[in-house]
Amino acid sequence: MTPFTSTLPVDADLSGLSDLVRGWTVALTGREGEGKGSGVIWHPDGLLVSNAHVVGESRRMRVTFGDGSEGEARVLARDDQRDIAILQADSGGHPDMPVGNPDALRAGSIVLALGHPWGVPHALSLGVVHAIARDRRGRPRHIAADVRLAPGNSGGPLVDATGRVVGINAMIVGGLGVAIPVNVVSRVIQHAGAQGLLPYKVSWAA
Amino acid sequence: MTALQNLSDDLAAVVASVGPSLVAIHARRRIPASGLLWRPDIVVTNHHVIQREDGITVTLADGTSVGASLVGRDPTTDIAVLRLERPATQPVIRPAAGARVGQIVLALGMPGTAVTAALGVISAAGGEWRTWAGGRIDQYLRVDVAVYDGFSGGALTNASGEVIGMNSSGLSRASAMTIPLATVTRVAEQLLKTGRVARGYIGVGLQAVRLPTGVAAQLTPPQDVGLMVVSLDEGAPASAAGIQLGDTIVSFDGRSVTDPGEMLGMLSGERVGTTAPVTLVRAGQVTTTTLTIGERPRASRR
Repeated sequence: MTPFTSTLPVDADLSGLSDLVRGWTVALTGREGEGKGSGVIWHPDGLLVSNAHVVGESRRMRVTFGDGSEGEARVLARDDQRDIAILQADSGGHPDMPVGNPDALRAGSIVLALGHPWGVPHALSLGVVHAIARDRRGRPRHIAADVRLAPGNSGGPLVDATGRVVGINAMIVGGLGVAIPVNVVSRVIQHAGAQGLLPYKVSWAA
Repeated sequence: MTALQNLSDDLAAVVASVGPSLVAIHARRRIPASGLLWRPDIVVTNHHVIQREDGITVTLADGTSVGASLVGRDPTTDIAVLRLERPATQPVIRPAAGARVGQIVLALGMPGTAVTAALGVISAAGGEWRTWAGGRIDQYLRVDVAVYDGFSGGALTNASGEVIGMNSSGLSRASAMTIPLATVTRVAEQLLKTGRVARGYIGVGLQAVRLPTGVAAQLTPPQDVGLMVVSLDEGAPASAAGIQLGDTIVSFDGRSVTDPGEMLGMLSGERVGTTAPVTLVRAGQVTTTTLTIGERPRASRR
């Protein structure tokens, strides 16, 4: 049987993005198998971002990287209110994750979610931005996306059509995927850095 | 720019261009439904989302709120028309020429103050069909798109920003449906003209029954099923034409009928006041009479 290869440009773009995003999406598992979810490599030195509810009370988590290699990560900080956790992997030298601008998203913009729903590794979901909830200053607070998510997608990236991360998938509300925009994640990282919780200086985009 | 980025920008541009035509309708408890600005002072929406007729308010795309009154509603096609207390600026709605299976579509809604979007494809496109309540819909349009709050009364557009129709979750339990723009136009214009949609009416309850072989052979073409009259409205066209309980109708207006739904389909609003020959079987004999199609009395609201 000849494998089918699509010649449609959109198909090629999607499979290309899927491979790219896979490089900085990780699977996280708690010590006793609890707390299964996803995460992203925020910094090539091994700084990981996931959801606070994925990490739970764990101090250390098992990490499976996009290339299948495994390692461990230490929990550095947890913001339960914003549902963000910051971890440090024991290994470095990871791919650099491009951070996008959630402010540039509009209802209808294409977004992709990568994660490990129900433990299925590197599952890709395609959809569009449904609506963006903003805070009083007009900055994105939540991104509601018409993408199919399931438990295990939590902590994984929401990516725009250019392949940049715009949010961390965190919840399913009324069937909609709800992601925490990267501008909020940056603030949490900034705060953790100011408290001396990070082992090195992390710059933040957006 | 990759093809995916172009598509993403196109879809966001569709939401930006069609979005101003959308409104939020506050006529039920909790979550508002969507509607389409049809004319500067006219909004079309679904019948099933109008759960109260007083104190209806409409939120326009610019965020302002306007009171609205019900012009009319047609439960059979799930369409309702509202009139705004003051006219709004109405963007142009570009109608789509048609819809094909597999076409990328966006379902736009406005369940509050912001326009929302969902992506999908046309999953089935067929011919004219009748809803369970007997309404005539010009084209069968099923969409594979997630149904979120505000889906009903919202717009279905293609990737070029042309409007295919108005979405409804009230026409099928199984899936999301879109009422084509042609049907919305036809029903809305009739509601604006008369405040209601006329339906033909003859005043009988029918039940499909098997005909005795002797009778079946007398008919041309032969037919083994007819529609027995099991109830008769007093003073209605059928009883005025001498039709009695137990008569079995085998043809109506020159067409053989074997299903009550078929009869319903032949009683469209345009037929009100016209005559139709009826062939029926009574006591084993085939006879023909003529009746004048009346207008269905205003039904109590579902």
